[in-house]
Amino acid sequence: MEQAATQRTPHIEISEAACRIVGECYPENIQEFSAPVMSSLRSLVPDSGAYRVEMELFYFNSSSAKFLFDFFEFFEEKAASGLAVKIKWNYRLDDDTMLEAGEDFAEDMESCEFELVGVEVPSEGESEAE
Amino acid sequence: MINDETLELHKFMQARRTLFCYSGPLSEDLLTSISNPVRQQLSESESDEGVAKRVFGVFVEQAQNIIRYATLRADTGEGVGTIAISVTEDDGFLIEAVNAIDSTKRTALESTLLELSMKDAKELRKMYKDRLRSGPPEGSKGAGLGFIEMARRVQRFEFEIADTENGPVFVYRGYVS
Repeated sequence: MEQAATQRTPHIEISEAACRIVGECYPENIQEFSAPVMSSLRSLVPDSGAYRVEMELFYFNSSSAKFLFDFFEFFEEKAASGLAVKIKWNYRLDDDTMLEAGEDFAEDMESCEFELVGVEVPSEGESEAE
Repeated sequence: MINDETLELHKFMQARRTLFCYSGPLSEDLLTSISNPVRQQLSESESDEGVAKRVFGVFVEQAQNIIRYATLRADTGEGVGTIAISVTEDDGFLIEAVNAIDSTKRTALESTLLELSMKDAKELRKMYKDRLRSGPPEGSKGAGLGFIEMARRVQRFEFEIADTENGPVFVYRGYVS
């Protein structure tokens, strides 16, 4: 599954090996946004082996926090039953809000590996380059 | 002779150093449309990206409160309210929202906000996390996190529930600097 970013939703990629979410998250309708993401995860994420999750959010609103909570809980359950999940939470070095959010999600992780990574603020324009 | 209310409105908005102000029916579509101009205004008047993001975050939560909970609705069903961002004397930001509320919700709203106003950053962070785990309270159309989120992003906030001939009106003022 691959979904381009919109003004209010992040870029999302979900495969059988990795998931990546980058951008802003304050959708007009949180259910309409989260339902297809969660259903893709349920159909694509395997039960065993290794899985990478990469997050880089610049802003999310309070309605989206619940989605992120469910999202990480999904991986925590997968990891508890045998999938080796490695989550990378990227935040901009000057962004305390996203650092704190990452720390709070990390606190609930027992079976997933959760890494907080401070990244330099990119210059003009958020590059999607890898 | 032109009605001088128009000139007074202009002077009033300018004197308050208004960056953005909207009063009327608010929808998610409209919020999408105004998000970029609001952000642009903020980045032009604030060099600290963190401050600009906090102001924007409070603005979004306030706008969604009006969209979801304002009891005065337009014919099209949209919640009616007023939302504004202005620059304060110390060059911080004041984010204001006003909307009519249901009189039966008044007491609950007052006690929620009073409780939030007495919490420090650490307690608010914990409340946010606990609420996230426990799920939204009854009657919430979101995650029930909006007011906690706002309280975490502002330095301080003030609120009042004013009585009008059309029922109670909720007034919220959040300061970010």
